[in-house]
Amino acid sequence: MKTSIAKLLTFTLFFAAASAQAKDLHFGDAVDKNKLIKISTLMEKPDDYLSSPVTIEGTVVGVCQKRGCWMSIASDKRFQNLRIKVNDGDMVFPMTAKGSKAFATGMLTKNQLTLSESKRLLAHRAQKNGEAFDEASVKQAIATYQLVPTGVTILD
Amino acid sequence: MINRLKSINWYRLNRSLHRDFGYFCIGFVLIYAISGIAVNHRDDWNPNFYVARDTIATPQVNWDTVNDNVLIQQVLEQVDGQFEVKASYWQSPSQFKVFLENDGNLSLNLSQNTIVFERIKARPVFQAFNRLHLNETHKSWIIVSDIFAGLLIFLALSALFMVKGKYSPWRKKSLWIIAGFVIPGVYIFI
Repeated sequence: MKTSIAKLLTFTLFFAAASAQAKDLHFGDAVDKNKLIKISTLMEKPDDYLSSPVTIEGTVVGVCQKRGCWMSIASDKRFQNLRIKVNDGDMVFPMTAKGSKAFATGMLTKNQLTLSESKRLLAHRAQKNGEAFDEASVKQAIATYQLVPTGVTILD
Repeated sequence: MINRLKSINWYRLNRSLHRDFGYFCIGFVLIYAISGIAVNHRDDWNPNFYVARDTIATPQVNWDTVNDNVLIQQVLEQVDGQFEVKASYWQSPSQFKVFLENDGNLSLNLSQNTIVFERIKARPVFQAFNRLHLNETHKSWIIVSDIFAGLLIFLALSALFMVKGKYSPWRKKSLWIIAGFVIPGVYIFI
C-alpha cells in the first residue's frame, strides 16, 4: 500500500514538474511564417492587405485584462501597434504574455468610423498617452484596423 | 443468456453505479462548478490573474530618450530590487514601457515624471481549474471531459430509478424534475 502511494506521489510530482516548465503557447491553427510581413509595412497601406491572410510578429505590449480576447502587438516602428482580436473564448491570451514575442496569422479587418466616433477615439488615445488634444483639429473620419487571427504563437 | 439477464437486480445495480460514479465525479464537479462561477463573473474580475499597480513619483531626471538601453537603466534605478528586462516599447513620445521577467512591467511617463509598476500574478487554483474548464490543457483532456459529461448524463438518468414509492420521481417529486427543465427553458425564450 505504502509503495503504491509513493509511486503515485512520484508520478504526480513528475507530471506537475513537467507541466510547470515554461514553453511556447499556441492558439488555434499553426502560424504561417511564409506570410510574414512587418506591421509598419502593413499599416502603410492597410487596405491592400484586407483580402488575404497575413502573419505579423512583434512584442506583446497589451492584453485584454478581463477576457484575454485581444493583444496589442508592437510594430517595428515607434509608437505603432496592431491589435489582434478574437471572439470571447475562441482564444484566451494570458496577461503574462506582456513583453513576450508573438506571431499571429489572420485576416486584417477594417472598421470605418464616423467623424464623431473618430474624435472620441482620438481623444481617448491622446488621454491614454498623456497628450493634448483638440477635437476641432479632426476634420476627417478615420478607420481602425485589427487582425482577426486564426493562429497565434507566443514565444516563451 | 436471457435467464442471466433476468437474474440481475437492475435496481440494485443502478444504485451501485450511481453511487460509485457519483463519488468519482465529486472532484470533476467541484472543478467545473468553481471555475464556472469564476468565469461567469469575468466582467467583474480576471479569474486567472490579478494585477497590482503602484505609482512611483520620480525626481527630475534627465531621461535619455535616444538610447533605449540607457533609459531602461534609468528607469530600473528608480525601483527597488533586481529585475531582468524582457523587452521595451515606446507607447507614445511621453510614455515608455519596460517589460520585466516574472510578469511585471514599468511604465514611465516622461511628462509627469512617474513610473507605474504593474505586477501580474496568476491565481494558481482558479487558473488551473479554468484551464481545465475551457479545454486549454492537453488535447487528451477533451476525451476525459467527454467521459465526465457522459457520466453526468448517466447520473441524471439513473437518478430517476433510485427511489421507489412515495418519494419516487414519478409522483409528486416530479415537480423538481419539471422545474429543472422549465427554468433553463424560460431563459432560452426571454
